[in-house]
Amino acid sequence: MKTGIKKIDLQGLVTLALFVAMDIVLEKISFGPSTVKVGLGFIGSALLGYYFGPLWGGIGALISDLLRSAIFGVEGGFFPGFTLSAIVGVVIYAFFLYQKPIKWWRVIAATLLVTLVVNVLMNTYWIHLLYGLDLRAAFLQRILKELITPWIQIVVLYVILNAFQRVKIRR
Amino acid sequence: MSKIIIGRYIPGNSIIYKMDPRGKIIATFLFIVIIFLANNWLSYLFLSFFTLLAVGATKLKPKVFWDGVKPLIWLILFTSVLQLFFTTGGKVYWHWGIFNISEYGIQNSIFIFIRFVMIILISTVLTLTTTSLEIADGMEWLLRPLRYLKVPVAQIALVMSIALRFVPTLLDQAVRIMNAQRARGADFNSGGLIKRIHAIIPILIPLFISSLTIAIDLATAMEARGYREGAKRTRYRVLRWSKYDWVNLGYFALLTLILLLTRTY
Repeated sequence: MKTGIKKIDLQGLVTLALFVAMDIVLEKISFGPSTVKVGLGFIGSALLGYYFGPLWGGIGALISDLLRSAIFGVEGGFFPGFTLSAIVGVVIYAFFLYQKPIKWWRVIAATLLVTLVVNVLMNTYWIHLLYGLDLRAAFLQRILKELITPWIQIVVLYVILNAFQRVKIRR
Repeated sequence: MSKIIIGRYIPGNSIIYKMDPRGKIIATFLFIVIIFLANNWLSYLFLSFFTLLAVGATKLKPKVFWDGVKPLIWLILFTSVLQLFFTTGGKVYWHWGIFNISEYGIQNSIFIFIRFVMIILISTVLTLTTTSLEIADGMEWLLRPLRYLKVPVAQIALVMSIALRFVPTLLDQAVRIMNAQRARGADFNSGGLIKRIHAIIPILIPLFISSLTIAIDLATAMEARGYREGAKRTRYRVLRWSKYDWVNLGYFALLTLILLLTRTY
């Protein structure tokens, strides 16, 4: 697939659009027993970063978040902070994965950094800001989930990125 | 999977339906900004009153709004209860270790509950009364000033409309792929974690391949119909500002004023 850092051709643009659509679809699917439900949204974010890099991947994240709120309505209300979180997440994935060979340490570092920066720090702060929640209370509420999910995400991401590498489209 | 509904739009013809999506998006934004102004009982009372008035103006059944709040009700209650235990100040009613229930704690947890519900209600009003295509057009219009910062707004608009068009298609595709794999014995709802991770791949890879094929075909079709990058183009779908939008913005300006007057400084 041809995707440059700054310039993007029509095919790249249309591919980005379909990846955004795929991201929105994946966001709606979750798997696992009901005690540890893991959403698939992170796969869409990682793929945007992996294939389109920080700039266009970030733009894709922006569009995906805006459209998701337009189609499904955001749970808990629309807030631009969460859009920023989505963009930062994709940029972090892109920083570790874009045009790089897939290695365990890259997947681990990217996932842990996204969990720490986006899910733990940024999103907690937005919730604190949006609902006037006490910061300690907000942390306590999220920390349990954020201690479990990254490890599942790492395995899923590694397995899936390796599977995706085998797909080659020629016309 | 089949429970996923695309677009929460419910047709109707009350005044809110006649408003421009841009006005409604701006109003929703404004609401989230002004909700920070409320900090005492009187301001929260006015805030709730204005929100419920907006909800009432949609003339939709209360049940559809309850459906918007329902999936989050445990989160909201849990959050309020946590807030109850962690806020200190005022008269202390109960104390145990790090937990305590105080006058301010009770007040704060009620405020947070109201805030949660009001924000959800106002966003629900937006998504219930506006089609997703209208919201996307409105968002595109609101992003336009960003082109002075060299943000490729025209390309973003194109990506937005293509993505919006293909979300239902890809959802259908995902369901069809899952059914096709089930027909060959795939099982998505049982087994341990690792087994389930491996079960995702036979869904994701075909979805990925069909996205890529659609993209190649669509790009070719667009070029065949004379799409050129950066060429000057006209607009077929145009948004129109109506008198109802002034009513809408006036309503929120009034609420802002009331909140500024009633809040404690």
